[in-house]
Amino acid sequence: MQGSIIPMSLRAAAGPESTVLASGGDGPAVRTVGLGKHYRHPWTLRVTRGLEDLNLEVMRGEVFGYLGPNGAGKTTTLKLLCGLHRPSAGNAWLLGVPIHDEASRRRIGFLPEHPYFYDHLNGVEYLEFAARLSGLHAADARRRARHWMERVGLAGQEGRTLRKYSKGMLQRIGLAAALVHDPELLILDEPMSGLDPFGRRDVRDLILEQKARGVTVLFSSHILPDVEMICDRVAILLGGRLNRVATVGEIVASGAQTIEIRCTGVGVIALPPAWQGVLDRREHAHETVFVLADDSRTSEILQWLTGHGVQVRAVTPQRPTLEELFMQAAAGGSFAAPRLAEDRP
Amino acid sequence: MIQLIIAHNTFREATRDRVLAGVLVCGLVMMLATQLMTPLAMGESFRLTMDLGLTTISMLGMLVILMVGTNLVGKELEKRTIYNLLSRPIPRWAYLVGKWAGLSAALWAVAALLGLALFAIMAAGGLGAHPVAVAQSVYLAGLELTVMTAIAVLFSAFSTPVLSALYTMALYAVGQWSYDLRAFAENFPPALGGTLQAIANLVPNLPVFNMRTLAAEGMPTGVEHLGVATLYALVYVAGVLALATAVFESRDFK
Repeated sequence: MQGSIIPMSLRAAAGPESTVLASGGDGPAVRTVGLGKHYRHPWTLRVTRGLEDLNLEVMRGEVFGYLGPNGAGKTTTLKLLCGLHRPSAGNAWLLGVPIHDEASRRRIGFLPEHPYFYDHLNGVEYLEFAARLSGLHAADARRRARHWMERVGLAGQEGRTLRKYSKGMLQRIGLAAALVHDPELLILDEPMSGLDPFGRRDVRDLILEQKARGVTVLFSSHILPDVEMICDRVAILLGGRLNRVATVGEIVASGAQTIEIRCTGVGVIALPPAWQGVLDRREHAHETVFVLADDSRTSEILQWLTGHGVQVRAVTPQRPTLEELFMQAAAGGSFAAPRLAEDRP
Repeated sequence: MIQLIIAHNTFREATRDRVLAGVLVCGLVMMLATQLMTPLAMGESFRLTMDLGLTTISMLGMLVILMVGTNLVGKELEKRTIYNLLSRPIPRWAYLVGKWAGLSAALWAVAALLGLALFAIMAAGGLGAHPVAVAQSVYLAGLELTVMTAIAVLFSAFSTPVLSALYTMALYAVGQWSYDLRAFAENFPPALGGTLQAIANLVPNLPVFNMRTLAAEGMPTGVEHLGVATLYALVYVAGVLALATAVFESRDFK
Protein backbone atom coordinates (compact mmCIF):
# COMPACT_ATOMS: atom_id res chain seq x y z
CA MET A 1 0.00 0.00 0.00
CA GLN A 2 2.58 2.53 -1.05
CA GLY A 3 0.30 4.54 -3.28
CA SER A 4 -1.99 7.44 -2.64
CA ILE A 5 -3.30 8.28 0.76
CA ILE A 6 -6.57 9.29 -0.85
CA PRO A 7 -7.80 7.40 -3.88
CA MET A 8 -8.22 9.58 -6.94
CA SER A 9 -11.92 8.78 -7.16
CA LEU A 10 -12.44 10.19 -3.71
CA ARG A 11 -10.26 13.24 -4.04
CA ALA A 12 -12.44 15.26 -6.28
CA ALA A 13 -15.19 15.99 -3.85
CA ALA A 14 -15.87 15.94 -0.18
CA GLY A 15 -17.48 12.67 0.91
CA PRO A 16 -21.16 12.20 1.58
CA GLU A 17 -20.47 12.44 5.30
CA SER A 18 -18.78 15.76 5.02
CA THR A 19 -20.65 18.94 5.49
CA VAL A 20 -19.35 22.16 4.05
CA LEU A 21 -18.80 24.51 6.94
CA ALA A 22 -19.97 28.04 6.85
CA SER A 23 -17.04 30.23 6.01
CA GLY A 24 -16.00 32.96 8.36
CA GLY A 25 -17.49 32.57 11.83
CA ASP A 26 -16.93 34.59 14.92
CA GLY A 27 -13.38 35.52 15.74
CA PRO A 28 -10.21 33.63 15.00
CA ALA A 29 -10.07 29.84 15.00
CA VAL A 30 -6.93 29.96 17.14
CA ARG A 31 -5.91 32.83 19.37
CA THR A 32 -3.04 32.89 21.81
CA VAL A 33 -2.17 35.73 24.16
CA GLY A 34 1.19 35.67 25.91
CA LEU A 35 1.25 31.88 25.73
CA GLY A 36 4.39 30.41 27.26
CA LYS A 37 5.77 27.11 28.43
CA HIS A 38 8.69 26.64 30.79
CA TYR A 39 10.07 23.34 31.98
CA ARG A 40 11.75 22.97 35.35
CA HIS A 41 14.19 20.11 35.76
CA PRO A 42 13.04 18.11 38.81
CA TRP A 43 16.54 17.76 40.31
CA THR A 44 18.52 20.79 39.20
CA LEU A 45 15.43 23.08 39.16
CA ARG A 46 16.91 24.65 36.05
CA VAL A 47 14.26 26.27 33.90
CA THR A 48 14.16 25.69 30.16
CA ARG A 49 11.99 28.03 28.14
CA GLY A 50 10.13 26.07 25.48
CA LEU A 51 7.88 28.87 24.31
CA GLU A 52 7.82 32.56 25.15
CA ASP A 53 5.01 35.07 24.95
CA LEU A 54 3.27 33.73 21.88
CA ASN A 55 0.67 36.10 20.45
CA LEU A 56 -0.91 34.56 17.41
CA GLU A 57 -4.18 34.51 15.53
CA VAL A 58 -5.20 31.94 12.95
CA MET A 59 -8.30 33.07 11.10
CA ARG A 60 -11.18 30.74 10.31
CA GLY A 61 -10.90 28.95 7.00
CA GLU A 62 -7.22 29.60 6.40
CA VAL A 63 -4.35 27.16 6.01
CA PHE A 64 -1.69 28.31 8.40
CA GLY A 65 1.86 26.96 8.35
CA TYR A 66 3.82 26.89 11.56
CA LEU A 67 7.52 26.82 10.80
CA GLY A 68 10.70 26.66 12.75
CA PRO A 69 13.83 24.57 13.17
CA ASN A 70 13.95 21.63 15.59
CA GLY A 71 13.47 22.80 19.15
CA ALA A 72 11.88 26.10 18.12
CA GLY A 73 8.71 25.32 20.07
CA LYS A 74 6.35 24.21 17.29
CA THR A 75 5.31 20.91 18.84
CA THR A 76 5.14 22.55 22.27
CA THR A 77 2.65 25.08 20.91
CA LEU A 78 0.50 22.44 19.27
CA LYS A 79 0.54 20.31 22.43
CA LEU A 80 -0.47 23.31 24.50
CA LEU A 81 -3.38 23.97 22.16
CA CYS A 82 -4.49 20.33 22.30
CA GLY A 83 -4.35 20.05 26.09
CA LEU A 84 -1.35 17.72 26.20
CA HIS A 85 0.78 20.36 27.92
CA ARG A 86 -0.37 22.89 30.49
CA PRO A 87 0.69 26.49 29.80
CA SER A 88 3.10 28.21 32.21
CA ALA A 89 1.89 31.63 31.10
CA GLY A 90 -0.78 33.24 28.99
CA ASN A 91 -3.88 31.72 27.52
CA ALA A 92 -5.25 30.44 24.24
CA TRP A 93 -8.64 29.90 22.64
CA LEU A 94 -9.72 27.37 20.05
CA LEU A 95 -12.83 28.42 18.14
CA GLY A 96 -13.52 30.88 20.93
CA VAL A 97 -13.28 28.35 23.78
CA PRO A 98 -10.36 28.63 26.24
CA ILE A 99 -7.99 25.68 26.06
CA HIS A 100 -8.32 24.85 29.75
CA ASP A 101 -11.91 23.83 28.95
CA GLU A 102 -12.12 20.31 27.48
CA ALA A 103 -14.94 21.54 25.24
CA SER A 104 -12.32 23.46 23.24
CA ARG A 105 -11.22 20.11 21.83
CA ARG A 106 -14.67 18.97 20.75
CA ARG A 107 -14.43 20.48 17.26
CA ILE A 108 -10.74 19.94 16.59
CA GLY A 109 -8.87 17.12 14.92
CA PHE A 110 -5.25 16.53 15.94
CA LEU A 111 -2.58 14.46 14.28
CA PRO A 112 0.56 14.18 16.42
CA GLU A 113 4.01 13.86 14.93
CA HIS A 114 4.83 10.15 14.46
CA PRO A 115 1.36 9.05 15.53
CA TYR A 116 1.09 5.98 17.74
CA PHE A 117 -1.88 3.70 17.98
CA TYR A 118 -3.37 0.85 19.95
CA ASP A 119 -1.83 -2.28 18.49
CA HIS A 120 -4.69 -4.47 19.66
CA LEU A 121 -7.29 -2.66 17.55
CA ASN A 122 -7.98 -3.00 13.86
CA GLY A 123 -8.47 0.03 11.62
CA VAL A 124 -12.25 0.28 11.93
CA GLU A 125 -12.21 -0.30 15.67
CA TYR A 126 -9.64 2.45 16.10
CA LEU A 127 -11.55 4.99 14.03
CA GLU A 128 -14.78 4.06 15.79
CA PHE A 129 -13.04 4.55 19.14
CA ALA A 130 -11.66 7.93 18.01
CA ALA A 131 -15.07 9.06 16.77
CA ARG A 132 -16.77 8.03 20.00
CA LEU A 133 -14.16 9.88 22.06
CA SER A 134 -14.99 12.99 20.06
CA GLY A 135 -18.63 12.67 21.04
CA LEU A 136 -20.28 10.71 18.21
CA HIS A 137 -22.92 8.10 18.97
CA ALA A 138 -22.08 4.43 18.41
CA ALA A 139 -24.00 3.95 15.15
CA ASP A 140 -22.71 7.21 13.69
CA ALA A 141 -19.16 6.41 14.78
CA ARG A 142 -19.33 3.00 13.11
CA ARG A 143 -20.65 4.46 9.86
CA ARG A 144 -18.02 7.20 9.75
CA ALA A 145 -15.22 4.80 10.66
CA ARG A 146 -16.03 2.62 7.64
CA HIS A 147 -16.42 5.69 5.44
CA TRP A 148 -13.02 7.10 6.44
CA MET A 149 -11.27 3.74 6.04
CA GLU A 150 -12.38 3.80 2.44
CA ARG A 151 -11.67 7.49 2.08
CA VAL A 152 -8.00 7.19 3.00
CA GLY A 153 -7.52 4.17 0.77
CA LEU A 154 -7.63 1.49 3.45
CA ALA A 155 -10.75 -0.30 2.23
CA GLY A 156 -10.20 -4.03 2.56
CA GLN A 157 -7.88 -3.57 5.55
CA GLU A 158 -10.69 -3.29 8.09
CA GLY A 159 -9.92 -6.51 9.94
CA ARG A 160 -6.17 -6.08 10.05
CA THR A 161 -4.74 -5.05 13.44
CA LEU A 162 -2.78 -1.80 13.50
CA ARG A 163 0.44 -3.57 14.52
CA LYS A 164 0.51 -4.99 10.99
CA TYR A 165 0.13 -1.60 9.26
CA SER A 166 3.04 0.00 7.40
CA LYS A 167 4.23 3.53 8.28
CA GLY A 168 2.30 5.06 5.40
CA MET A 169 -0.86 3.21 6.39
CA LEU A 170 -0.49 4.41 9.98
CA GLN A 171 -0.16 8.00 8.79
CA ARG A 172 -3.36 7.56 6.81
CA ILE A 173 -5.25 6.08 9.73
CA GLY A 174 -3.95 8.95 11.88
CA LEU A 175 -5.33 11.47 9.40
CA ALA A 176 -8.61 9.59 9.24
CA ALA A 177 -8.82 9.64 13.05
CA ALA A 178 -8.22 13.39 13.05
CA LEU A 179 -11.02 13.87 10.51
CA VAL A 180 -13.53 11.19 11.46
CA HIS A 181 -15.75 13.58 13.43
CA ASP A 182 -15.67 16.38 10.80
CA PRO A 183 -13.71 18.90 12.88
CA GLU A 184 -13.78 22.63 12.24
CA LEU A 185 -10.13 23.04 13.12
CA LEU A 186 -7.41 20.64 12.07
CA ILE A 187 -4.09 20.72 13.93
CA LEU A 188 -1.40 18.64 12.27
CA ASP A 189 2.10 18.20 13.63
CA GLU A 190 4.48 17.41 10.78
CA PRO A 191 1.83 15.59 8.73
CA MET A 192 4.19 15.03 5.79
CA SER A 193 7.04 13.71 7.88
CA GLY A 194 8.35 10.37 6.62
CA LEU A 195 5.99 10.19 3.66
CA ASP A 196 7.06 9.52 0.10
CA PRO A 197 6.26 12.16 -2.59
CA PHE A 198 2.91 10.51 -3.35
CA GLY A 199 1.95 10.51 0.31
CA ARG A 200 2.97 14.16 0.64
CA ARG A 201 0.90 15.11 -2.37
CA ASP A 202 -2.08 13.33 -0.90
CA VAL A 203 -1.73 15.11 2.42
CA ARG A 204 -1.52 18.40 0.55
CA ASP A 205 -4.66 17.51 -1.40
CA LEU A 206 -6.43 16.54 1.78
CA ILE A 207 -5.52 19.82 3.47
CA LEU A 208 -6.74 21.81 0.48
CA GLU A 209 -9.91 19.77 0.37
CA GLN A 210 -10.57 20.52 4.03
CA LYS A 211 -9.90 24.19 3.37
CA ALA A 212 -12.51 24.07 0.60
CA ARG A 213 -14.97 22.75 3.21
CA GLY A 214 -14.22 25.76 5.39
CA VAL A 215 -12.00 23.91 7.85
CA THR A 216 -9.15 25.87 9.40
CA VAL A 217 -5.86 24.03 9.16
CA LEU A 218 -2.89 24.76 11.39
CA PHE A 219 0.09 22.60 10.68
CA SER A 220 3.79 22.48 11.39
CA SER A 221 6.19 21.24 8.78
CA HIS A 222 9.82 21.08 7.80
CA ILE A 223 8.94 20.51 4.17
CA LEU A 224 8.91 24.09 3.02
CA PRO A 225 8.03 23.59 -0.66
CA ASP A 226 4.78 22.01 0.56
CA VAL A 227 4.16 24.92 2.90
CA GLU A 228 4.81 27.35 0.07
CA MET A 229 2.25 25.54 -2.07
CA ILE A 230 -0.70 25.35 0.30
CA CYS A 231 -0.44 27.94 3.07
CA ASP A 232 -2.31 31.21 3.16
CA ARG A 233 -0.02 32.48 5.89
CA VAL A 234 2.92 31.20 7.85
CA ALA A 235 4.36 31.92 11.26
CA ILE A 236 8.05 31.48 11.86
CA LEU A 237 9.24 30.49 15.28
CA LEU A 238 12.87 30.78 16.30
CA GLY A 239 14.22 29.83 19.72
CA GLY A 240 10.76 29.64 21.27
CA ARG A 241 9.76 33.10 20.09
CA LEU A 242 7.53 34.14 17.24
CA ASN A 243 9.69 35.80 14.63
CA ARG A 244 7.19 36.70 11.95
CA VAL A 245 3.67 36.11 10.67
CA ALA A 246 3.03 36.86 7.02
CA THR A 247 1.80 35.44 3.75
CA VAL A 248 4.29 33.28 1.88
CA GLY A 249 4.33 35.91 -0.87
CA GLU A 250 5.26 38.67 1.58
CA ILE A 251 8.08 36.68 3.06
CA VAL A 252 9.49 35.70 -0.30
CA ALA A 253 9.11 39.28 -1.61
CA SER A 254 11.07 40.57 1.36
CA GLY A 255 14.12 38.60 0.20
CA ALA A 256 16.65 40.28 -2.10
CA GLN A 257 15.89 39.88 -5.81
CA THR A 258 18.69 38.93 -8.19
CA ILE A 259 18.71 38.99 -12.00
CA GLU A 260 19.91 35.99 -13.95
CA ILE A 261 21.11 36.48 -17.56
CA ARG A 262 21.60 33.27 -19.52
CA CYS A 263 23.56 33.63 -22.74
CA THR A 264 25.71 31.82 -25.28
CA GLY A 265 28.64 32.95 -27.38
CA VAL A 266 30.42 34.63 -24.49
CA GLY A 267 33.65 32.73 -25.20
CA VAL A 268 36.70 34.47 -23.81
CA ILE A 269 35.16 37.92 -23.40
CA ALA A 270 36.64 39.71 -20.41
CA LEU A 271 34.18 41.77 -18.40
CA PRO A 272 34.98 45.39 -17.49
CA PRO A 273 36.77 45.53 -14.10
CA ALA A 274 34.14 48.04 -12.85
CA TRP A 275 31.57 45.25 -12.78
CA GLN A 276 33.49 43.13 -10.33
CA GLY A 277 31.25 42.50 -7.36
CA VAL A 278 28.18 43.52 -9.35
CA LEU A 279 28.14 40.56 -11.67
CA ASP A 280 28.79 36.93 -10.87
CA ARG A 281 29.81 34.81 -13.86
CA ARG A 282 29.06 31.04 -13.89
CA GLU A 283 30.16 28.85 -16.75
CA HIS A 284 27.97 25.88 -17.66
CA ALA A 285 28.35 23.24 -20.37
CA HIS A 286 26.35 25.03 -23.07
CA GLU A 287 25.86 28.50 -21.68
CA THR A 288 27.15 31.22 -19.41
CA VAL A 289 25.03 32.60 -16.60
CA PHE A 290 25.55 36.09 -15.21
CA VAL A 291 23.92 36.82 -11.88
CA LEU A 292 23.35 40.47 -10.96
CA ALA A 293 22.97 41.36 -7.31
CA ASP A 294 20.20 43.85 -8.23
CA ASP A 295 18.52 45.15 -11.39
CA SER A 296 19.89 48.73 -11.31
CA ARG A 297 22.45 48.04 -14.06
CA THR A 298 20.61 45.37 -16.03
CA SER A 299 20.05 47.51 -19.15
CA GLU A 300 23.67 48.70 -19.21
CA ILE A 301 25.02 45.15 -18.91
CA LEU A 302 22.62 43.78 -21.52
CA GLN A 303 23.67 46.51 -23.98
CA TRP A 304 27.33 45.76 -23.38
CA LEU A 305 26.82 42.02 -23.82
CA THR A 306 24.84 42.33 -27.07
CA GLY A 307 27.35 44.91 -28.31
CA HIS A 308 30.10 42.30 -27.89
CA GLY A 309 28.23 39.68 -29.92
CA VAL A 310 26.80 37.73 -27.02
CA GLN A 311 23.47 36.01 -27.66
CA VAL A 312 21.18 36.63 -24.68
CA ARG A 313 18.75 33.71 -24.25
CA ALA A 314 16.91 34.74 -21.08
CA VAL A 315 16.77 37.44 -18.44
CA THR A 316 15.04 36.20 -15.29
CA PRO A 317 14.42 37.94 -12.01
CA GLN A 318 15.11 35.47 -9.18
CA ARG A 319 13.46 35.47 -5.75
CA PRO A 320 14.83 33.33 -2.94
CA THR A 321 12.58 30.41 -2.01
CA LEU A 322 10.93 30.22 1.37
CA GLU A 323 13.37 27.47 2.18
CA GLU A 324 16.40 29.65 1.40
CA LEU A 325 15.02 32.52 3.46
CA PHE A 326 14.16 30.19 6.28
CA MET A 327 17.65 28.69 6.29
CA GLN A 328 19.19 32.16 6.41
CA ALA A 329 16.99 33.16 9.32
CA ALA A 330 17.58 29.95 11.24
CA ALA A 331 21.32 30.24 10.71
CA GLY A 332 21.41 33.47 12.66
CA GLY A 333 20.29 36.03 10.18
CA SER A 334 16.77 37.20 10.54
CA PHE A 335 13.67 37.97 8.71
CA ALA A 336 12.48 41.49 9.04
CA ALA A 337 11.85 42.79 12.55
CA PRO A 338 9.37 40.62 14.45
CA ARG A 339 5.80 41.28 13.48
CA LEU A 340 3.14 39.58 15.45
CA ALA A 341 -0.43 38.66 14.81
CA GLU A 342 -1.56 42.23 14.48
CA ASP A 343 0.05 42.68 11.09
CA ARG A 344 -2.13 40.10 9.44
CA PRO A 345 -3.01 41.38 5.95
CA MET B 1 -20.25 8.42 29.21
CA ILE B 2 -16.72 8.89 27.96
CA GLN B 3 -15.37 6.79 30.85
CA LEU B 4 -17.29 3.75 29.56
CA ILE B 5 -15.78 4.17 26.10
CA ILE B 6 -12.28 4.27 27.58
CA ALA B 7 -13.14 1.39 29.92
CA HIS B 8 -14.37 -0.66 26.98
CA ASN B 9 -11.12 -0.08 25.12
CA THR B 10 -9.04 -0.94 28.20
CA PHE B 11 -11.10 -4.09 28.77
CA ARG B 12 -10.62 -5.05 25.13
CA GLU B 13 -6.88 -4.41 25.37
CA ALA B 14 -6.56 -6.47 28.55
CA THR B 15 -8.60 -9.38 27.25
CA ARG B 16 -6.67 -9.45 23.97
CA ASP B 17 -3.40 -9.51 25.89
CA ARG B 18 -1.75 -12.89 26.32
CA VAL B 19 -1.16 -12.16 30.02
CA LEU B 20 -4.82 -12.60 30.85
CA ALA B 21 -5.16 -15.82 28.86
CA GLY B 22 -1.99 -17.12 30.49
CA VAL B 23 -3.32 -16.26 33.93
CA LEU B 24 -6.57 -18.09 33.25
CA VAL B 25 -4.78 -21.23 32.06
CA CYS B 26 -2.37 -21.02 35.00
CA GLY B 27 -5.31 -20.67 37.42
CA LEU B 28 -7.07 -23.70 36.00
CA VAL B 29 -3.91 -25.78 36.14
CA MET B 30 -3.28 -24.76 39.75
CA MET B 31 -6.83 -25.58 40.79
CA LEU B 32 -6.69 -28.96 39.08
CA ALA B 33 -3.29 -29.59 40.65
CA THR B 34 -4.80 -29.19 44.14
CA GLN B 35 -6.88 -32.28 43.34
CA LEU B 36 -3.68 -34.30 43.12
CA MET B 37 -2.92 -33.33 46.72
CA THR B 38 -6.34 -34.19 48.15
CA PRO B 39 -5.34 -37.80 49.02
CA LEU B 40 -2.73 -36.26 51.34
CA ALA B 41 -5.23 -33.87 52.92
CA MET B 42 -6.46 -36.42 55.48
CA GLY B 43 -10.14 -35.56 55.21
CA GLU B 44 -9.55 -31.87 54.63
CA SER B 45 -9.95 -32.04 50.87
CA PHE B 46 -12.75 -29.50 50.81
CA ARG B 47 -10.86 -27.01 52.97
CA LEU B 48 -7.69 -27.46 50.89
CA THR B 49 -9.43 -27.08 47.55
CA MET B 50 -11.47 -24.05 48.62
CA ASP B 51 -8.58 -22.29 50.35
CA LEU B 52 -6.06 -22.84 47.56
CA GLY B 53 -8.66 -22.06 44.90
CA LEU B 54 -9.56 -18.71 46.45
CA THR B 55 -5.91 -17.87 47.10
CA THR B 56 -5.18 -18.65 43.46
CA ILE B 57 -7.86 -16.16 42.35
CA SER B 58 -6.45 -13.39 44.55
CA MET B 59 -2.79 -14.06 43.73
CA LEU B 60 -3.30 -14.34 39.99
CA GLY B 61 -5.45 -11.19 40.02
CA MET B 62 -2.61 -9.37 41.77
CA LEU B 63 -0.20 -10.74 39.18
CA VAL B 64 -2.34 -9.18 36.44
CA ILE B 65 -2.40 -5.88 38.32
CA LEU B 66 1.38 -5.91 38.69
CA MET B 67 1.95 -6.85 35.05
CA VAL B 68 -0.79 -4.79 33.39
CA GLY B 69 -2.25 -2.37 35.93
CA THR B 70 0.99 -0.73 37.02
CA ASN B 71 1.76 -0.13 33.35
CA LEU B 72 -1.71 1.10 32.53
CA VAL B 73 -0.90 4.80 32.18
CA GLY B 74 2.88 4.41 31.79
CA LYS B 75 2.46 2.32 28.66
CA GLU B 76 0.20 4.96 27.12
CA LEU B 77 2.77 7.64 27.91
CA GLU B 78 5.65 5.59 26.61
CA LYS B 79 3.85 4.62 23.39
CA ARG B 80 2.26 8.08 23.17
CA THR B 81 -1.16 6.59 22.52
CA ILE B 82 -2.36 9.00 25.20
CA TYR B 83 -2.09 11.80 22.59
CA ASN B 84 -4.99 10.22 20.73
CA LEU B 85 -7.17 10.38 23.83
CA LEU B 86 -6.35 13.54 25.69
CA SER B 87 -6.32 15.70 22.55
CA ARG B 88 -10.07 15.00 22.46
CA PRO B 89 -12.70 16.46 24.79
CA ILE B 90 -11.88 14.12 27.66
CA PRO B 91 -11.27 15.33 31.22
CA ARG B 92 -8.20 13.73 32.71
CA TRP B 93 -10.18 12.29 35.64
CA ALA B 94 -12.48 10.55 33.16
CA TYR B 95 -9.46 9.02 31.47
CA LEU B 96 -8.16 7.60 34.76
CA VAL B 97 -11.59 6.35 35.81
CA GLY B 98 -12.00 4.72 32.40
CA LYS B 99 -8.63 2.97 32.64
CA TRP B 100 -9.42 1.76 36.17
CA ALA B 101 -12.91 0.58 35.24
CA GLY B 102 -11.67 -1.28 32.16
CA LEU B 103 -8.99 -3.25 33.95
CA SER B 104 -11.26 -3.84 36.95
CA ALA B 105 -13.88 -5.30 34.61
CA ALA B 106 -11.27 -7.60 33.08
CA LEU B 107 -10.20 -8.73 36.58
CA TRP B 108 -13.83 -9.33 37.60
CA ALA B 109 -14.19 -11.49 34.50
CA VAL B 110 -11.06 -13.50 35.42
CA ALA B 111 -12.22 -13.86 39.03
CA ALA B 112 -15.68 -14.98 37.89
CA LEU B 113 -14.28 -17.53 35.43
CA LEU B 114 -11.85 -18.96 37.97
CA GLY B 115 -14.65 -18.95 40.59
CA LEU B 116 -16.82 -20.96 38.22
CA ALA B 117 -13.93 -23.33 37.62
CA LEU B 118 -13.47 -23.75 41.39
CA PHE B 119 -17.15 -24.43 41.81
CA ALA B 120 -17.10 -27.00 38.98
CA ILE B 121 -13.98 -28.73 40.32
CA MET B 122 -15.48 -29.08 43.79
CA ALA B 123 -18.79 -30.27 42.45
CA ALA B 124 -17.13 -32.79 40.13
CA GLY B 125 -14.84 -33.96 42.92
CA GLY B 126 -17.82 -34.69 45.18
CA LEU B 127 -16.58 -32.17 47.75
CA GLY B 128 -19.86 -30.30 48.01
CA ALA B 129 -20.24 -27.17 45.94
CA HIS B 130 -21.28 -24.49 48.48
CA PRO B 131 -22.17 -22.01 45.74
CA VAL B 132 -22.99 -19.15 48.12
CA ALA B 133 -19.64 -19.30 49.91
CA VAL B 134 -17.77 -19.51 46.60
CA ALA B 135 -19.76 -16.64 45.08
CA GLN B 136 -19.30 -14.41 48.12
CA SER B 137 -15.57 -15.17 48.30
CA VAL B 138 -15.11 -14.42 44.61
CA TYR B 139 -17.11 -11.21 45.01
CA LEU B 140 -14.88 -10.05 47.87
CA ALA B 141 -11.75 -11.05 45.93
CA GLY B 142 -13.07 -8.96 43.04
CA LEU B 143 -13.54 -5.98 45.36
CA GLU B 144 -9.98 -6.40 46.66
CA LEU B 145 -8.63 -6.47 43.11
CA THR B 146 -10.69 -3.39 42.26
CA VAL B 147 -9.11 -1.48 45.15
CA MET B 148 -5.62 -2.64 44.21
CA THR B 149 -6.24 -1.64 40.56
CA ALA B 150 -7.06 1.90 41.72
CA ILE B 151 -3.78 1.97 43.68
CA ALA B 152 -1.89 0.73 40.61
CA VAL B 153 -3.51 3.48 38.51
CA LEU B 154 -2.47 6.06 41.12
CA PHE B 155 1.18 5.03 41.02
CA SER B 156 1.08 4.56 37.27
CA ALA B 157 -0.10 8.18 36.91
CA PHE B 158 3.19 9.62 38.16
CA SER B 159 5.78 6.86 38.27
CA THR B 160 7.59 4.40 36.06
CA PRO B 161 6.06 0.92 35.61
CA VAL B 162 8.77 -0.77 37.69
CA LEU B 163 8.41 1.65 40.60
CA SER B 164 4.61 1.51 40.32
CA ALA B 165 4.79 -2.28 40.62
CA LEU B 166 7.05 -2.01 43.68
CA TYR B 167 4.82 0.57 45.39
CA THR B 168 1.67 -1.40 44.61
CA MET B 169 3.21 -4.62 45.90
CA ALA B 170 4.38 -2.86 49.06
CA LEU B 171 0.91 -1.42 49.73
CA TYR B 172 -0.65 -4.82 49.10
CA ALA B 173 1.68 -6.41 51.65
CA VAL B 174 1.11 -3.68 54.25
CA GLY B 175 -2.63 -3.72 53.52
CA GLN B 176 -2.81 -7.43 54.31
CA TRP B 177 -1.34 -6.66 57.74
CA SER B 178 -3.31 -3.50 58.48
CA TYR B 179 -5.06 -5.05 61.55
CA ASP B 180 -1.71 -6.12 62.95
CA LEU B 181 -0.26 -2.70 62.24
CA ARG B 182 -3.03 -1.12 64.33
CA ALA B 183 -2.41 -3.53 67.19
CA PHE B 184 1.32 -2.92 66.87
CA ALA B 185 0.81 0.87 67.11
CA GLU B 186 -0.66 0.50 70.59
CA ASN B 187 2.74 -0.59 71.92
CA PHE B 188 4.31 2.80 71.18
CA PRO B 189 4.15 6.24 72.78
CA PRO B 190 1.19 8.34 71.56
CA ALA B 191 3.13 10.37 68.95
CA LEU B 192 4.66 7.39 67.14
CA GLY B 193 1.65 5.20 67.83
CA GLY B 194 -0.65 7.85 66.36
CA THR B 195 1.48 8.03 63.24
CA LEU B 196 1.36 4.27 62.85
CA GLN B 197 -2.40 4.30 63.38
CA ALA B 198 -2.75 6.95 60.70
CA ILE B 199 -0.67 4.86 58.29
CA ALA B 200 -2.75 1.80 59.14
CA ASN B 201 -5.89 3.78 58.35
CA LEU B 202 -4.51 5.06 55.06
CA VAL B 203 -3.31 1.75 53.65
CA PRO B 204 -6.06 -0.42 52.18
CA ASN B 205 -7.78 -2.53 54.78
CA LEU B 206 -7.50 -5.73 52.78
CA PRO B 207 -8.56 -8.23 55.48
CA VAL B 208 -12.10 -6.88 55.07
CA PHE B 209 -12.14 -8.60 51.66
CA ASN B 210 -10.94 -11.94 53.01
CA MET B 211 -13.44 -14.63 53.94
CA ARG B 212 -11.29 -17.57 52.96
CA THR B 213 -11.25 -19.08 56.48
CA LEU B 214 -15.05 -18.97 56.59
CA ALA B 215 -15.44 -20.29 53.06
CA ALA B 216 -13.05 -23.13 53.80
CA GLU B 217 -15.63 -24.28 56.33
CA GLY B 218 -18.31 -24.01 53.65
CA MET B 219 -19.96 -21.15 55.51
CA PRO B 220 -21.29 -17.97 53.93
CA THR B 221 -20.69 -14.54 55.40
CA GLY B 222 -23.36 -12.04 56.38
CA VAL B 223 -24.90 -9.41 54.14
CA GLU B 224 -23.56 -6.73 56.53
CA HIS B 225 -20.00 -7.85 55.85
CA LEU B 226 -20.59 -7.72 52.10
CA GLY B 227 -22.23 -4.30 52.41
CA VAL B 228 -19.44 -2.83 54.53
CA ALA B 229 -16.78 -4.27 52.22
CA THR B 230 -18.56 -2.87 49.15
CA LEU B 231 -18.95 0.57 50.70
CA TYR B 232 -15.35 0.60 51.90
CA ALA B 233 -14.10 -0.40 48.43
CA LEU B 234 -16.17 2.33 46.76
CA VAL B 235 -15.00 5.05 49.14
CA TYR B 236 -11.37 3.92 49.03
CA VAL B 237 -11.35 3.71 45.20
CA ALA B 238 -12.95 7.16 44.93
CA GLY B 239 -10.31 8.63 47.27
CA VAL B 240 -7.41 6.98 45.44
CA LEU B 241 -8.68 8.02 41.99
CA ALA B 242 -9.23 11.59 43.24
CA LEU B 243 -5.60 11.64 44.40
CA ALA B 244 -4.47 10.16 41.07
CA THR B 245 -6.40 12.90 39.23
CA ALA B 246 -4.79 15.62 41.36
CA VAL B 247 -1.34 14.27 40.42
CA PHE B 248 -2.23 13.67 36.77
CA GLU B 249 -4.03 16.95 36.15
CA SER B 250 -0.92 19.10 35.85
CA ARG B 251 1.18 16.55 33.99
CA ASP B 252 2.71 17.35 30.60
CA PHE B 253 2.99 14.58 28.06
CA LYS B 254 6.35 14.51 26.34
